[in-house]
Amino acid sequence: MATAAPRTELRPSPSAGSRGDPRRRDRNWVLALVVLLVAEVLYFSVTVSGFFGNGTGLLALTEQFLDIGAIALGLSVVILAGEIDLSAGTMSSFAGIVMAVLWRDGMEIWLAVVVALLLSAAVGAVNGLITTFFKVDSLLVTLAMQFILGSVATALGGASPPYGFPSSFVTIAGTGTVGPIPNQLIVFAVLAIVVSLLVGRTRVGRSLALIGYNRPAARYSGIRVNRTIVGAFVVSGLMAGIGGILVSGLYNAARNDIGDSLLLPGITVVVLGGVDIFGGKGRISGVIVATFVLGFLTEGLLVAGDSSLSATMVTGILLLVALAFKIGLDRRGGVDVVAVVRRRLRRIPVAGEPS
Amino acid sequence: MSATIGVDRAPSVGASVRGLLRRAVRLREIQLLLAIAVVVALSAIAHPNFVSPGNISFMLADSVVTAVLATGQTIVVLAKGIDLSVAPILGIAAVVVGFPAQNHNLPILPAVGIVVVVGLVLGVGNGIFVSVSRIPPIIATLATLSVYGGLQFIIANGQEIVNIPNAYDALGNNDVVSGIPWILVIGVGIAVVVALFLRHTNLGRSIYAVGNNADAAHRSGIRVQRVIFLTYVLSGLLAGIAGLLYLCHTGSADSTTGTDSNVNLTSIAATLIGGTTLTGGRGGVVGSVIGAVFLSVALTAMVFARIPAIWEPAGVGLLILLAMVTDRHSSNLAARAHRHRQAGP
Repeated sequence: MATAAPRTELRPSPSAGSRGDPRRRDRNWVLALVVLLVAEVLYFSVTVSGFFGNGTGLLALTEQFLDIGAIALGLSVVILAGEIDLSAGTMSSFAGIVMAVLWRDGMEIWLAVVVALLLSAAVGAVNGLITTFFKVDSLLVTLAMQFILGSVATALGGASPPYGFPSSFVTIAGTGTVGPIPNQLIVFAVLAIVVSLLVGRTRVGRSLALIGYNRPAARYSGIRVNRTIVGAFVVSGLMAGIGGILVSGLYNAARNDIGDSLLLPGITVVVLGGVDIFGGKGRISGVIVATFVLGFLTEGLLVAGDSSLSATMVTGILLLVALAFKIGLDRRGGVDVVAVVRRRLRRIPVAGEPS
Repeated sequence: MSATIGVDRAPSVGASVRGLLRRAVRLREIQLLLAIAVVVALSAIAHPNFVSPGNISFMLADSVVTAVLATGQTIVVLAKGIDLSVAPILGIAAVVVGFPAQNHNLPILPAVGIVVVVGLVLGVGNGIFVSVSRIPPIIATLATLSVYGGLQFIIANGQEIVNIPNAYDALGNNDVVSGIPWILVIGVGIAVVVALFLRHTNLGRSIYAVGNNADAAHRSGIRVQRVIFLTYVLSGLLAGIAGLLYLCHTGSADSTTGTDSNVNLTSIAATLIGGTTLTGGRGGVVGSVIGAVFLSVALTAMVFARIPAIWEPAGVGLLILLAMVTDRHSSNLAARAHRHRQAGP
């Protein structure tokens, strides 16, 4: 994937010579993630019995977190544009419940899936329209939407949300496999490629990054800013909806309680993947690798017998550490430790002189 | 008086009164009081019980926890931050004093000391992540939301507090004089202190300055990051106190207290409805307190209208949207926020 997703960095490096090439820095970040992923998988394979499972066990574990990956792909589009979507988690619950309720009331399951996804995209559009039309912070719009969707999902689902979907659905969207490869992994691969191409290879993708980096400049250069932002929210809503369908397939039941627990890992994956939380730069390839880094870490801890709550705590801590590290690097202008040390050393005799 | 000089220049008395009124109506506090009046009037017509002294006292007492949280949230938002971790801070404070109170009859004074320390420590945690590590506030506090939530779960250890000593219950539910509960007096006291602090102290004014324009604040000698750090400490402190008030008022606490009742959302809602803007530097505690009362009144009105409780979050969400959409200052907010991000010191 790394080659299919060119960087979307648009920030001119103010002093390229001394601060290191940002292009290389982004690539290094993704590379570091890959190394981390390999190390972590090796570690858990050796220390936790039942983690590796001859490779198929490892592949099967991915089903547990690819829903988060789908949400993260959508989120990264919004975050690239300098906005945020806090409603992505409950959007998943909402989509799953809508699909399940329509199916229970007699609709064909795949038609129900389509309707649920269209509704998710529509809610995403509402997020985007309120954000752009009233010029309010998307943080608030989507925070409000998060709770509205939560209420709607709970009300629609009732006390016991529908479960026991047709086997064709469960096979394709849930636990089915092609050989050793889970179907969900194939779905995720398709989504990942589509979003990578969208962000890295199309006009719209380039516009997104420019909007995130410098909105007035984007406007002056003729980009339809508001329209593109609404589009980003639609993608986010759609992806969160797909995540919700995957969750429903995995558990073979609609869940209205799971939404909140998907948002934090989703944002963690995006940030861990190297997307600047303020927008403007990031690579989808990083987000894809980060999905597996966080996913295998969580699943490794769970298989090892830790509670899901301590796994959530680890997510939070990982988010803090990754960001503190990355921001620290950015502030120091890259990973060029040698240059920093050399500059420090050169400054020593000067430090003693009166200024 | 200069009445004789002013007569031919100043507009007529009627016009100036109208001007004054027009300006007053633009104030968020006045708008909110009008909105409260409308909700109360409509509910009273449908259910006369709504304006019974008992219900009014209940609604005011019920808004105190939200109001104290919103006071802290306001401080953070004024400096252009946000604190999504107030819910578990409230929860941790409630369980940390709740268990000793239930099992060992911990007196109330040490309990106050404990919640203050808990709030300060957790607030310092947020402050370090935001102002030392420079992690964006929303991400930092979203992460501590899950870390602190995990801590609360570990501390509670699956147990529940159902029985609190009489002293706690009295603080949470008894009246000073008939109709005015203790908890309301405490809430008003805290709000007044924080309002005075924001208006009349160096640090208070610095918070506004930092939120308004961090770069200018930096150039005029304000230690920007230290001020931001302190806003999170204060927010943690107030959330800790809110935890004790919550424990006293409801008489219960467990591993998900705070998070399960969406106090993050309600504290932010009260702050924003009260007219404090996320762009920082504008707003105040008085609006947030009135916002908390408005939320309490509106949610109680929903109960009276027999709307199921599951729609409560949706109601709060809609109110947030409404408050933002009607804020005439909010235009160009995104662009301004962006400019500030670029221009940070």
